[in-house]
Amino acid sequence: MVTRPAIVVPFEEHMLANGLKVVLAPARATPVVGVNLWYAVGSRNEPPGRTGFAHLFEHMMFQGSAHVPKNGHFRRVEEVGGTANATTWFDRTNYFETVPSHHLDLALWLESDRLGWMLPAMTEEKLENQRQVVMNERRERYDNQPYGDWDERLQALLFPADHPYHHTVIGAMEDIASATLEDVHDFFSTWYRPNNAVLTICGDFEPDHAIARVQHYFGDIPSGPTPPPLPGKPEIPFATGGTLRETVESAVPLPRIYAACRIPPFTSDAFYAGEAASCCLGMGRSSRLHDRLVRTRVAKSASCHALPLATGASIFLLVATGYPGTEVGDLEAALVEELDDLGTLGPDEIARVAAGRETRTLRALQQVETRADFLSMYATLFGTAARLNDDLARIRSVSAEDARAWSCAYLHEENRVFVRYVPEAQR
Amino acid sequence: MTGPALGDRSVPPSPGPIRPYEFPDVATTRLANGIPLRTVVPKTPLPLVTAMVVLKAGETASPAGQAGLAFLTSAALEGGTTARSGKELAHALEEIGASFGGATGWDSTTVAVSCLAEHLPLAMGLLAEMVRSPAFEPAEFDRFKAQRLAGARQRLMDPATLAKDAHARFMHRDDDTYARPLVGTEASLEGLSDDDAHAFVASCYGPAVAEVVVAGDVEPSEAAAAAEEAFGSWDAATAPVAEPRVGLRGRERVVHVVDRPGAVQSEIRTGHPGVARSVPDYLAVQVMNLTLGGSFSSRLNLNLRERNGFTYGVRSGFAARRGPGPFSVSTAVETKVTGAATGEILREIESIAADGPTAEEVLSAVSYLAGVFPLRLETTGQLASRIAEMIVHDLPEDYYRSYRDRVRQVAPEEAVQAARRHLRPDELCTVVVGDATAVAPQLEALGAGEVVVHESSGGRRP
Repeated sequence: MVTRPAIVVPFEEHMLANGLKVVLAPARATPVVGVNLWYAVGSRNEPPGRTGFAHLFEHMMFQGSAHVPKNGHFRRVEEVGGTANATTWFDRTNYFETVPSHHLDLALWLESDRLGWMLPAMTEEKLENQRQVVMNERRERYDNQPYGDWDERLQALLFPADHPYHHTVIGAMEDIASATLEDVHDFFSTWYRPNNAVLTICGDFEPDHAIARVQHYFGDIPSGPTPPPLPGKPEIPFATGGTLRETVESAVPLPRIYAACRIPPFTSDAFYAGEAASCCLGMGRSSRLHDRLVRTRVAKSASCHALPLATGASIFLLVATGYPGTEVGDLEAALVEELDDLGTLGPDEIARVAAGRETRTLRALQQVETRADFLSMYATLFGTAARLNDDLARIRSVSAEDARAWSCAYLHEENRVFVRYVPEAQR
Repeated sequence: MTGPALGDRSVPPSPGPIRPYEFPDVATTRLANGIPLRTVVPKTPLPLVTAMVVLKAGETASPAGQAGLAFLTSAALEGGTTARSGKELAHALEEIGASFGGATGWDSTTVAVSCLAEHLPLAMGLLAEMVRSPAFEPAEFDRFKAQRLAGARQRLMDPATLAKDAHARFMHRDDDTYARPLVGTEASLEGLSDDDAHAFVASCYGPAVAEVVVAGDVEPSEAAAAAEEAFGSWDAATAPVAEPRVGLRGRERVVHVVDRPGAVQSEIRTGHPGVARSVPDYLAVQVMNLTLGGSFSSRLNLNLRERNGFTYGVRSGFAARRGPGPFSVSTAVETKVTGAATGEILREIESIAADGPTAEEVLSAVSYLAGVFPLRLETTGQLASRIAEMIVHDLPEDYYRSYRDRVRQVAPEEAVQAARRHLRPDELCTVVVGDATAVAPQLEALGAGEVVVHESSGGRRP
C-alpha cells in the first residue's frame, strides 16, 4: 500500500479577548492574501415571516459603514487589484477578499469597519435599493428559470414546517419585500458580533505581524451576548416516515427528478461514510448512476451529493434528467433501484471514490480563496481548523462495509422524497 | 447605534511594500515529430499536474451546415477508443483520481487530464488514446448526440441562453460563423453522424495544429518522456487553421423582442460585432470595458443595480476570438422596468463611446487588471489554460511575463481611443427575451431602433 499524501496546510489559531477566533495560514510563494470571515448565521436562523433576511442582510453589508461609503468596499478592493464577494447559506454567511499581499491592511480595515461600525451607515434608501436587487436575484434564479423552484419544493417536502431547513436561503418574495431597517439593526446586533465569527487569513503574510494588525482593527469591537437558540426544532429523526412525492407540470424542457433523504449532519462522525456512498452513486463517470442510467440512456444526466449541512440533519440529494418523452415514473424507478442496491457497494468503488476525492480536494486547495474558506468552515463548524489536515485520512478510512451500513440505515424507503418535473403538454 | 472608539479609522490604511510577482517560466521543447511541448511548474506546487492537448481546431472549423460538429466530436472523445470502451476509459482514469474532458471553443479544442503528478505517464497515455484513436462507436456516438439534442432543447427554454443565441443570430448575417450557437442547433445536430466525427478528426486533429501543455509539479524531463511516449509517433495530415466568416447584418439600431408570455423578467442583450483578439489595442479595450461593465464598480452596474435596483447584475464584454467576437451587454431586469433599463444601457454606451473613461477610471482598471493577474494563475488548470490561449492566439513567448508591465502602460488617451474606435452606438442590435405585450410598448419609445416581435420557439411547450 502506497502512503498517500496528507494535506498539510500549516496554520495557527488565536482568540481575541472579544471572542473573535482567528486562523492564520501563511504560504508566501505568491504575493496574494485571502481574508475570509464566517459568521455563524444563515437562513436557519430566520424566524417565520423573515425568510431570506440573512441573505438580504449580506447585501446590506456592502452598502457602507461609518468610514466606508456605499459601494466603497468593492471599489477599494477592485482598484488595488483584488476581488471580493460574500455568500449566504443554510448555516453561515461568508465574506471574503483576495488582494495583493501588501494590501492586507485594507481588507482588514474594510471587514472590521462593517463589523464594528455598520449601523450608522444604514438608510431606508439603501435598504429599498437592495430589496429590489434581491427580488431581482430571486426572479432571475427562481421565478424566471426552468426548475427554479426545485429547492423550495424539495426542502418543504423533506423537512417539517418547524425545522430551520424547511425554507430556502433566498426566501419568500413577500418576506424580502417587507424587511425593515429595524430588522437590519436587530439582526446585526444579534448575529454580527466578534464572538459569533471566525476570521481566516491565508497566503503571503507574516503571522506575528498579521495578528497584531487583526488586534488593531478588530480588538476594540465589543463582543455580544450569546446568540439566541435556533427557531423551531432542529433535532429531527433521520427518516421522513415514508416515500413522499410531488409531481410538478411546468414549463421545463425535459423531465427531471430531484430526490432526497434526510441524513445525519455534516458534523456527525458517520458523515464520511455517507459522502463515500454518495460519490459511489453519483460522482464522476465511473459512478453507478453514470454507468447504469446515463450510459444506458435512461437519463441524460444524473448526479448525487451528500450536502455538508450542520443543523440537526442534512440532505442526501440526487438529480436525474431524462430525455424528451422519458416517463418520470421510469426515472424514479431507476433511482429507487440504485438506492435499494447500495448494499452491494464494493471495495473497488470505495477506492476509486477516495482517489477522486483526494485529487479534487488538493485541486481546490491550490486557491488561496478556497483554502481560507475551508479553514473558516472547519473552525466554525468543528471548533478547530485542524480538521482540514485530517480530512483525507477520514475519507480514506471509510470501508465498503461502512458505506453499505450507512446506506441501509438512512437511504431506505421510509426516508425518501421525490420532486418530479414533467414538461407541460405540448400546445 | 454607538460603536467603539473611532481611532484612526476614517483614513484607509496605506499599502505595505509591494512584493514581486513573475509569471512562472514556461519551457518549450519539441517532440520527435515536431509537436511543441510547453511545461510550467506553478509557484506553489501541490503534487498535481494538468496535461492538455491544444488543437487549433474549434467550431469555426466545422463545415457549413454542420454547426456543432467540433463540439459534439470533442464531447464524444470520452465515448471510447479503438483500444477500450468509454466505460473502461472512465474507470481507468477515475481509478487514479483523474478528472478529464474535452472542451471546444470557436478557435480551439482542448482535451485535458488533471491528476496527482505521480500518475502523469498513465494519464498522458490515456489522453493520447482519446485524441489519436477515438472509436466513435455508432451506438455510443448516438448517445452523445442525443444528449446534445436534449441540451439544445434546454437552451430554448432557458431565458439567458435563449437571449444569447438570439443575439448572435440577429447581429450577424445568416452565413456568418458567429451567427450560430457554438454547440449547434437541433436542426444541425440532427444531421450529424459518427462518420462526420471521424472525418472531422481526420482533417482537424493532428500534429501540425497540436501542442502539448504540462502544468504541474513535474520535472520537465519526466514531462518530456511522457509526452514523447504518448504523442511522439503521431503522424496525421490536417487542414490549415480555419478562419471565421464575419460580416454585419445591418448598420442600424434594431430591437428584437423574443416573446415569453407571462415572464416576470426580461433578459436583455445589446451589442454589435466587436474586435478580434489580435487587435493591437486589445489591452486598451479591456481597460475600457472594465469601466463600462467589466467589474462590480463599473458604470453599468452602479447605475442599473446600485442606483436603480433594476437588476441583480449587469456586465459587458468583448469575446476574445480570432474573428471579431461580439461586444455585448447582458442583464436580466424586472418586466416593468425593461424600457427604462434598456435606455440606461444605451446611454452608458453612448456616453463612454463619446468621451471614453476618465483618467481616474483608467488608473483603477489598470490597477485591477495588473493586481488580479496572479490570482487567476493559482491552479495547474488555470496555468494550462493561459498557455493554451497563448498558443491559439499566436501570442509572443514573453506575453505573460510582460503582461503586467504592458497593462500598466495603457494610457488614459488609449482607452478613450479604444472606446471611440470600437464602440458603435448607432449600430446596436438589442434582443429582449420577455413578455412582448408588456415590454414592446416600453421599447418603442426609446429610440433604440425598430422593434420587431418574434414568437419564441422556446415558448412552444415541448
